[in-house]
Amino acid sequence: MLSLIVWSPLVGALIVLMTPKEKVRAIQTVSFVAAGVALAASLTLLLNFDRGSAAMQFVERWMWIPSLNVQYLLGIDGLSYPLVLLTAFMSVIALVGSLGIKERVKEYFFWFLLLEVGMLGVFAALDLVLFYVFWELTLVPMYFLIGVWGGPKKEFAAIKFFLYTLSGSVFMLLSILALYFKSAPHTFDMLELMKPGVQSLFDPRFQILAFLGLYFGMAIKIPAFPFHTWLPLAHVEAPTPISVILAAVLLKMGVYGLLRIAYGITPLGFAWFLPALIVIAVINIVYGALCAMAQTDMKKMVAYSSVNHMGYCLLGIAGMSATGFSGAAFQMVNHGIITGALFLLVGVIYDRAHTRDVSAFGGLALKLPVYSGLMAMTCFASLGLPGLAGFISEFMCFLGAFSAWPWPTAISVVGIIATAAFFLRMMQKVFLGAFNEKWAGMEDMTARELISVMPLAVVTVWFGIAPKWPLDLMNKTIEHMLGK
Amino acid sequence: MIEHAYLIPLIPFFASFIMLFGGKEDPHSNMPWVGIAAMGVCLALSVSVFWGAVTGTVALPYEHNWHWFSIAASIAGRSFVYDMPVGVLIDGPAAVTLVAVTLVSLMVQVYSVAYMHGDVRFKRYFAFVSFFTAAMLGLVASSNLLVTFACWELMGLCSYLLIGFWFEREGPCEAQKKAFMTTKLGDSGLYLALLLIFAKVGSFQLSQIYQFFDKGLMPATIATVIGIGILAGAAGKSAQAPLFIWLPDAMEGPTPGSALIHAATMVAAGILLVSKTYFVFLASPTAMESAAWMGLITAFLAASMALVSYDIKRVLAFSTVSQLGFMMCALGAGGFTSGLFHMTTHAFFKALLFLGAGSVIHSVHTNDMRQMGGLSKKMPLTFLTMLIAVLAIAGVPGLSGYYSKDMILADVWNHDHLMFWILLCTALMTAFYMFRLFFLTFWGDDRDHEKFHHAHESPALITGPLVVLAVLSAFAGAGLNHDGLVHKLIPKPTISVMPGAAVAAPAHASEAKPEASAHQASTEHHDGHLPAWLHMTAIVLVLGSITLAFLMYRGPTYAAADAIKANLGPVFTLLDRRWYVDDFFYALVTVSDKVAALAFWIDANVVDRVFVDGWGLLMRIFAQISDAFDNLFVDSAVDGVGGLGNDLGVGLRSLVREGQVQEYLMYAAIAFSLAATLILTR
Repeated sequence: MLSLIVWSPLVGALIVLMTPKEKVRAIQTVSFVAAGVALAASLTLLLNFDRGSAAMQFVERWMWIPSLNVQYLLGIDGLSYPLVLLTAFMSVIALVGSLGIKERVKEYFFWFLLLEVGMLGVFAALDLVLFYVFWELTLVPMYFLIGVWGGPKKEFAAIKFFLYTLSGSVFMLLSILALYFKSAPHTFDMLELMKPGVQSLFDPRFQILAFLGLYFGMAIKIPAFPFHTWLPLAHVEAPTPISVILAAVLLKMGVYGLLRIAYGITPLGFAWFLPALIVIAVINIVYGALCAMAQTDMKKMVAYSSVNHMGYCLLGIAGMSATGFSGAAFQMVNHGIITGALFLLVGVIYDRAHTRDVSAFGGLALKLPVYSGLMAMTCFASLGLPGLAGFISEFMCFLGAFSAWPWPTAISVVGIIATAAFFLRMMQKVFLGAFNEKWAGMEDMTARELISVMPLAVVTVWFGIAPKWPLDLMNKTIEHMLGK
Repeated sequence: MIEHAYLIPLIPFFASFIMLFGGKEDPHSNMPWVGIAAMGVCLALSVSVFWGAVTGTVALPYEHNWHWFSIAASIAGRSFVYDMPVGVLIDGPAAVTLVAVTLVSLMVQVYSVAYMHGDVRFKRYFAFVSFFTAAMLGLVASSNLLVTFACWELMGLCSYLLIGFWFEREGPCEAQKKAFMTTKLGDSGLYLALLLIFAKVGSFQLSQIYQFFDKGLMPATIATVIGIGILAGAAGKSAQAPLFIWLPDAMEGPTPGSALIHAATMVAAGILLVSKTYFVFLASPTAMESAAWMGLITAFLAASMALVSYDIKRVLAFSTVSQLGFMMCALGAGGFTSGLFHMTTHAFFKALLFLGAGSVIHSVHTNDMRQMGGLSKKMPLTFLTMLIAVLAIAGVPGLSGYYSKDMILADVWNHDHLMFWILLCTALMTAFYMFRLFFLTFWGDDRDHEKFHHAHESPALITGPLVVLAVLSAFAGAGLNHDGLVHKLIPKPTISVMPGAAVAAPAHASEAKPEASAHQASTEHHDGHLPAWLHMTAIVLVLGSITLAFLMYRGPTYAAADAIKANLGPVFTLLDRRWYVDDFFYALVTVSDKVAALAFWIDANVVDRVFVDGWGLLMRIFAQISDAFDNLFVDSAVDGVGGLGNDLGVGLRSLVREGQVQEYLMYAAIAFSLAATLILTR
C-alpha cells in the first residue's frame, strides 16, 4: 500500500512524459489522477492504522542491493503518517493551484509529480539509502520548477536553492555512510540502527560527529539559522504552487529527519547539541519574526514567517519532552496547511495585480470581501489565534520547551508579538483604509482559487477546534520515542 | 437548568455564524434579531442560574467537564497523558457575571438595531457583537484555564474587528491595531504564566490548580511570577497602567460597540481573570500588592486625564480605565467581593453612560462637548437616564455605584491608609469629571445653535435600553447589597496552607490548621466598614466635588476652568498628552521597527554573504584540494587500472576544471565526504 502511495505519482509522471504536450487537459487529468490515487490510498490507511501502537506499520521490506545490505524498506508510524497525509493532500491542493500554469505544461507536471514521489518517499522510507535517494530526488524537480517557471530572478534562486541544499545533504550522506560502517553487521536500516545493540557500538564522540553531519543536511532544509537565507529568495521566485509545496512539505523534511534520524539514531549527539539547538530555535523565532517585520513584499514576509514558525518546531524539539515533540509534529502539519494557504492567497493577489508590495494596495476588503476574509483568517491562524490550527501546536511547543529552557522560551514569546505585528500591519495596508481606486477592476476569488483554498481553511478551523484527531494519530509514537 | 449552562456561550456563538454567513448583506436586514433572540435565551438561562444561586436551590460551584483532546506530557520526570478538559465551572462570581454580561449585551444589541440601521455592514456588526459576547461568556464559564485563554484571545480578535468596524477610515484602523497589539503585549505575560502553571501543576483545570495552591504546594516565588504574568495579561485587557493606552482610542468603533467593550466584555475580562485565579494572589503577597498598586496608579492617572478632555466618549473611556483601576486595587487589597461587586454595578452604569452618550452623538453628530449644552430640553429621557448613571458612578448614596465603591474604600482602608487617601482623591475626581461631562452636555444653554436646533430625542429602541439600564444602575447595588447577598454570592476564596508552610504540612497537619484559621480570621477582619466619620467625610466630599463641577461648568461658558488651565499650563499639557505613556509606546514601536530593519539588513548583508558566499569559497577550496588529490593519486592509479579508470578520471577532471560551480561543489563535497568517512570509521 505504501508503495502504491509513493509510486503512483511516478506512474503519472511517466504517462505525462508520453503524452503529447499539446494535450494540456490530458496532462492535467493524468496528474490529478496520479496525485489523487496517492491521496486516496494514504487516506485508506486511516482505516487500518493502529493508533494504539508505536510500532512501524504497513512495513514493506525487500532486499535492494544485497552486497551493501541496502533494503527497499517502507513503513509509517505516528510521526511520519501525518506527514504522508499532509504531502498527499497538499500536492493535490498545489495541483489545483497549478492549473494556472500555461507555459511548458507537460514538463511542469512531470517535474511536479516527480517531486511528489520524492517527498512521499522521504516520509515513508526506513532505509537510510532509500531515504537519501528520495531526499535528493526532491532536489532536481524543485530546481527546475523554480528555475523555469519562477519569477524574474528565478535562475539565481534555483541555483542558490540547489547548491545550498545539496551541500547540506552531502554532509548527511557522509554521516549515513559513517553510521553504516560503524554498525555491525553493516546496515542502513533505521530501525536496526535505533536498536540498543547497535546503539552501543556508537560511542558519544562518534554520535556527535554523525549528528553534526545529519544536522547540516537537515538544518538547511528546515531552515535553521544561519542556513535559512535561501528560503526567502526561493519562495519569492518560485511559482505559487511550488511555494506552497516548498513551505508545506519540503521544510518538514528537515524537521522530520531531525526527529526520526538525528534523534532516533544519534541520541547522544542530539542531547549534546541541545543547548545550541535552543539558541538556534530562539533566533529562528525572534529573528525570523523581526526580518518578516521589515518586509514590504507579502511573499517574502510569509517566507520569513516560515522561518519563525519552524523555530517553534525547533523549540518544541529542543525541549526534548513528549509535549514538545508532539507540538513540533503537530506544528509541522499546521504550518503546512496555514502557510500553504497563505502562499496560495498571496498568489491570488499577485495574479491580479502583478505586485506583492503591501503599500501598492489599500481597502481591498471593500471590494474583495471573500478574499479578504480568507486572508484575514489565515493570517490570524498563522499568528496563533485560538480556535484556529496554529494555536494548540504552538502552545504545545512552548509548553514542551518551558520546563527545560524557561528563559529561552520566555524570550521566544517576543516572536509571537512580532508575528502579530507584521501580520496586522500587512492586513491594514492591503485590506483596510481607503480603497485604492487603481484596483477598481479587481475581481474576487474565482472558483478554482476557492477550491484550492477552502479545504485548507476548513482544516484550519477543524484542527483548531478539535485537535483530538490529529493528536491521537501521533501520541503513541511520540510517547514511545521519548520512552526509551 | 444549570446542567445546560454550557449553552450560554454556545448559543451566541452559533448565532454569530448564522448572522455572518446567512442571508445577504443588507442595511435593513432582519438578521440582527437572530442575535437578539439568542441573547434573550442566554439571559433567561443566566437568570435561572443566578436565581438558583440566590435562593440556594442550585449548589455552587457547579463543574462539568468533557474530554477535548489528549497530549503526552511530562512534569518533573513524571510522564503521563494529559486529557485536556473543556467544560463549565459556574461559581458565585460567574453566576453574577453571566447575568450582567448577557443583560448588557442584549441591551446593546437592541439599541444597536436603531443606532446602526442603514450601515452597509449592518448584519456583520451584529455577528461581531454576538461573537464577542460568546467569547466573554466562554471566558466566564470555562473550567479550564487554557480555554479561558482561548476565549480571551478571541475577545482580542473581536475587539479588533469591532473597533475597526469602519475600516475605510484611518482612525479605526490605527485604533484596532493598537488595541490588538497592546493587549497582545500583556497576553505574552499571561502566556508565560500558563506555561509556568502547567509546568508545576500538570493541569489546566482551575479546580485542580486551586487544589495545588490550596495545599501550599506552589512555592511563593513561583506564585509571584505567575501572579505577575496574570497581571500583565489583565493589564492589557483591563486597560491598566501602563497598557491602558488602547482603550481611549477604542472609541473609534461604533458607540454601542464601545459600550459592550467597556461594560460587558473585554475590559471586565482582566478583572475576572484575576478573580478566577485569585488563589495565586493569595499565595503571593507580592503579586497581591502589585495588583493593588497597579490598580491604584491606573485609577488615579486615568481620572486625572478625564479632567481635561472635551470629547464625551474619551472622558467615558478614561472613566472606564479609572473604574477598572478601582476594581483591580480592591482585588489587590484583599477586597475580592467588593472588586467584583463594583465590576457588576459598573457594567450597568457604564453601559448606560456609553449608550446615553451614543444617543447624544446620534442626535448632535459630534463628540465635542464644547458644541453641546442644554440638551436636557431636547432629550429628556436621555438626560434623566444619564443623570442616574452619573449619580451612580459618582457614588452618590442610594445608587448602585455607592454601595460597591463604598465597599472598595472600606477594604482599601483596612489594607493601607495611604492607598485609601489616594483612592478617595480619585473618587472625588470621578465625581467631578462625570458631572463636568453631565453639565457640559445637558445643562445651561446651547453653545452650538445649529447642532442644538437639529437635536432630537432618540427612538424607542434606543431609549428603551437606556431606561432598563437606568433602573439597574439605580437599584442593582442596593439589591445585591441587601442582607449581605453579595457576600453570599461572591465569597472571598481562601487557601488553607500558605506556600511557606507546605513542607511542614503533611507531617504536622495539626500545626497548619491554626495558621489557616488565622488567615481566615484576618479575612473576616477585612470585611469591616469604614469608620463612621470617614464615611460621612467621603460622602460630603463627593457632594462637594459635584457642586464644584456645577459651579465651574453650569453656564454656557466656563471661564473659571479656562483660567485654571491658563495658570496650570504644564499640568494640563501633561494630562492632555496622557502622561506621555502613548509617546513611550510609539517610541517603542519605532525602535522595534528599527530593530527589525536592522535584523533584515544583517540577514541580507551578513548572514547571507557569510553562509552562501563563504560556503561557496569553502567548497572551491575543497575542489582544489580534490583536484590535487586527483592529480597525485588518481592519475598514477590510472596508469595501473587503465581503460575504464582512465576515462572516468579524465571525465572527472574535465568536469571539475571546466564545469559549472555546482558541479565543482558536488564533486568536491563527495570527495570530502568519502575521505572523512574513511577517517571516521577507521
